[in-house]
Amino acid sequence: MSSESDRLLVRQIRQGDSRAWTTLIGRYEGRLLAFVDRRLHDRAASEDVVQETFIGFLNSLPNFDDQRELQTYLFTIASHKLTDHLRRMGRHPMHLVSDSKSDILNQQSDHHQAASSLVRSQERRDLEADALTQALTGLIGGWRQRGDYLRLKVMELLFVKGWPNRDVAAFLSISEQQVANYRFAAIKKVSEQVRDAGLPADIFPELQQPGP
Amino acid sequence: MAAITREILTHYLDDALSEAETSQVEQALRQSESLRRLLRVVMQERDRGEHSLGAIWRRERLSCPSREQLGSYLLRAVDDDLLDYIEFHLRTIGCPFCQANLADLQTLQQEPAPQTQTRRRKFFESSAGYLHIGREGKSTGR
Repeated sequence: MSSESDRLLVRQIRQGDSRAWTTLIGRYEGRLLAFVDRRLHDRAASEDVVQETFIGFLNSLPNFDDQRELQTYLFTIASHKLTDHLRRMGRHPMHLVSDSKSDILNQQSDHHQAASSLVRSQERRDLEADALTQALTGLIGGWRQRGDYLRLKVMELLFVKGWPNRDVAAFLSISEQQVANYRFAAIKKVSEQVRDAGLPADIFPELQQPGP
Repeated sequence: MAAITREILTHYLDDALSEAETSQVEQALRQSESLRRLLRVVMQERDRGEHSLGAIWRRERLSCPSREQLGSYLLRAVDDDLLDYIEFHLRTIGCPFCQANLADLQTLQQEPAPQTQTRRRKFFESSAGYLHIGREGKSTGR
């Protein structure tokens, strides 16, 4: 969620307040520039992408939900602008696979294929992602409050890095059983909350896991 | 080097990997047809609108320390457990958003103020013409 200060800033910018806009630029340009330049290593090009990010933000302002964290929203726009830039430069990941002779368009993928073969509307996908975000935010907030950083590390390695249980256990010097227990408990809780939001949990492949 | 997982490829497509990991992935993709095949599968899943819990976690920065905590981390003014977690999040997870925040905090201590002011003025001058959109309403610019 945005801080009260950011929400006030957004309200003022919505009224066309140029001083508020100057403040927002001053608050966020440095981290956005560092984020983009890590990928481009070209200061001038990075500044252009950040410039496009700010313009993109103003263009999308009428649709911005200020319950969202402003920083996260700006990073998301910067990522899109960065991808557009890389595409124009021929440096997008698509270029690394486009020359392959293998045609996999008709191949079946693995377990992820079962989750959904339907193309859902963007609105529906946003709703699903919001439900998952809320469930995970509550869970992570609870771990933090209890100082349970071990559990947070386990889940971050499993879900964000995609490491298997055994690698997580070895890295953190705990048993595989403990990792499996943490995973099971987290998935159970998140699945319940997603279902409580009126959505089927099987839209998230990672929530389809065996017991501990 | 850790194996390049489906989740890492998803972050790669989102341009949401650290600099080091991006280089590792690009090198591995050039050398491995099976990895390129996996990348295409991930792209197709995304085109179909399938979710990735890891992508949502990273995109929404669900476990990122706050900017204030990163500032305290730089000064080593956080308790041991939090310091250990922040190092894990920066180095092992390789969160590019927190790395950017940290780099910015470090730059703030070093960059000459006039240089920063010039850049900020440039951003303002190139975008201020769009300020009216917030009042009048317009479709997404993303």
